[in-house]
Amino acid sequence: MRSVAGLGQRLMADFTTSTHRAKWIFTPQDLKEKYKNANKRAKQTLEQHGTTQMKVDIDGSFSLVKPQNDAKDNADKHSRPKALKTEEEQLLRAFYEFKIQDVCDAFKFPRKIQATALIYFKRFYLQWSVMEHHPKNIMLTCIYAACKAEENHVSAEELGKGIEQDHQFILDNEMLSLGFDLIVYAPYRALEGFVNDLEEFYDEELVQSEILKSLHDSAKMEVDKIMRTEAPLLFPPGQLALAALRRSCEIHKVIDFDRYLKSMLSRQHPSHANSELRASMNTIDIMVNKLETPTSKDVKHIDRKLKSCLDPSSHEKSKKRKHRSKESSIDMS
Amino acid sequence: MSEAVVDRYEKREVLGEGTYGVVFKAIDRKTGQTVAIKKIRLGKQKEGVNFTALREIKLLKELKDPNIIELIDAYPNKGNLHLVFEFMETDLEAVIRDRNIFLSPADIKSYIQMTLKGLAFCHRKWVLHRDMKPNNLLIGPNGQLKLADFGLARLFGSPDRRFTHQVFARWYRAPELLFGAKQYGPGVDVWAAACIFAELLLRRPFLQGNSDIDQLGKIFAAFGTPKSLQWPDMVYLPDYVEYQHVPGQPLRTLFPMASDDCLDLLSKMFTYDPKSRISAQQALEHRYFTSIPPPTEPASLPRPPPKRESVNSRVSDFNPQDGPTVLSPPRKLRRVMPQREGFDINAQLTDTMDDHGNEIRQTAGERSGQAPMSLDFSVFGMRPPSRPTINSADRSHLKRKLDLEFQLPEEE
Repeated sequence: MRSVAGLGQRLMADFTTSTHRAKWIFTPQDLKEKYKNANKRAKQTLEQHGTTQMKVDIDGSFSLVKPQNDAKDNADKHSRPKALKTEEEQLLRAFYEFKIQDVCDAFKFPRKIQATALIYFKRFYLQWSVMEHHPKNIMLTCIYAACKAEENHVSAEELGKGIEQDHQFILDNEMLSLGFDLIVYAPYRALEGFVNDLEEFYDEELVQSEILKSLHDSAKMEVDKIMRTEAPLLFPPGQLALAALRRSCEIHKVIDFDRYLKSMLSRQHPSHANSELRASMNTIDIMVNKLETPTSKDVKHIDRKLKSCLDPSSHEKSKKRKHRSKESSIDMS
Repeated sequence: MSEAVVDRYEKREVLGEGTYGVVFKAIDRKTGQTVAIKKIRLGKQKEGVNFTALREIKLLKELKDPNIIELIDAYPNKGNLHLVFEFMETDLEAVIRDRNIFLSPADIKSYIQMTLKGLAFCHRKWVLHRDMKPNNLLIGPNGQLKLADFGLARLFGSPDRRFTHQVFARWYRAPELLFGAKQYGPGVDVWAAACIFAELLLRRPFLQGNSDIDQLGKIFAAFGTPKSLQWPDMVYLPDYVEYQHVPGQPLRTLFPMASDDCLDLLSKMFTYDPKSRISAQQALEHRYFTSIPPPTEPASLPRPPPKRESVNSRVSDFNPQDGPTVLSPPRKLRRVMPQREGFDINAQLTDTMDDHGNEIRQTAGERSGQAPMSLDFSVFGMRPPSRPTINSADRSHLKRKLDLEFQLPEEE
């Protein structure tokens, strides 16, 4: 995979030496393991302490929020909150990743910010379980940090107000974001480069500029989808962009993508294994096709489970009034 | 978790204090390396992590080069953000100011070469430094010069992206910035590097304007008012105003001791039109660097003698005028707060200049032109006039601008 990693380098002279490439591109096994470990750790904490919630201090240090005594006392085997399974965690993350795009759209943030926030979010949950830090808080923190890092500053207050959430925790959590590297490479610029290149390539055949434009637009939407899969943690942005462009070409059926790809590779990367690149694009393709967009209905029960992990006393209460009320614990618009 | 990080560094003496934090020396127990830790107060600030610090962390993590200061670590602890840097002994401003130091042409070549190397690296990585000045060029124990203070730095290269022009301390500000350019590139850093180059030759700041208008006056008095042929886009700049034509002076008169190669490079770096200005990389390829004498080995460069308590990397902060308390050492005191009395002297100097009234724009040049090679400030009582950093008016403007930049978002 490494040998294809540099594809699209011409467009991003500095990706090769970036922390993004050096530290944040993984193998599928790496990812699986990291998710498993985070889940396991949170589960153990839950068994030992009856809660998983981590409190973040102003300086970004963590401590476990100790449950109140009464909750701890009756924490017998039966009433103890159940931990989330890794699949449930995954679903919840997918839900909030979609929310990130939603919120960014609502604020009309540029795509780059959206992508940066998504990557921060993904990086964060390689280290933590959703049981330890509620994804709603982390989502907003990531958006806030992305705006700041991309020099499109929006005040935390404004951001909080826009989605009717208290903003203080955004600031409380911001320190967490420093744990990862802040400059990330989104595929949009690489995509632009490939589209320009495509235009030159088909120049003599006079591909109409409207066609190219709609091709570019739908490729951007494909990138949006790719950003919600695990692919950004597995492949460099150049390859994500190419995969998006190929999908877009399949929709429009006006451009022979294969022909372009062959020519592009022979021009720029003669030594590149074509098959390897194709394999990567196919993997990305499969990921996008499998991409789920959970609705709040889908994650409702998971969120309820999560709530009792984070706050065991709410678990007790909700058990008591289980049949009485149908309160929803997810209230994001 | 952060306990472990904190234990890694053994705290030593305080090196200085600025408006948003303290710098102290420490030993990295893991590597035995001496480091400088910049402690930035977080408090319950409305906008979380300090912007300047965030930029520094963000960019320095990606920039690893022998001529760029190394950010070793960044961690939060007890309401403070800690930035761990490699320890640096002094800075280029201290070298320039030290009257006991003689800088040979080979020494000057070495210092400016290292400056340009660091700069070329930044530009290759699409980073504009935007605060180049001698005081931000730190010098390590082995004489290595490194670019520091990336608090104003940012990425460039996106088409049509607009930036604020309120960057750099005034004396180092390129003419396009003084005319309010919002779209600019690495040329601004090259201009500043040229000012530093000139300062190494003259041993005093070259173009010491006391307002933005005066700064342009000083520039024009030295090089002549630019003609539109020289710089066709000038008249379209937002704050462009017509200046009375002055002829400028031959570089040879301004820098009598410099070699021909040196002057040729200097003139290319001081080119008015940013589009024709030499790039940092091209400058490094200039024959000045291959002609004799060869640049001095960094380890043999003249530097101020190390103090018993070593001095370090400065309290980064682009406005020391806000009244920092300097704890140690004495030399640092002079560097961090040359104000107070010094300020008055400066004001007197300014007054004298103002006595020439409206003629400033024409007469300014005579001043810089005929200033002796080495100014002895002792005639004024004590300290040299204070260097302007980004002043507080600029700063609030800057803050606004930086905050406002998001209103012109750019789609990748």
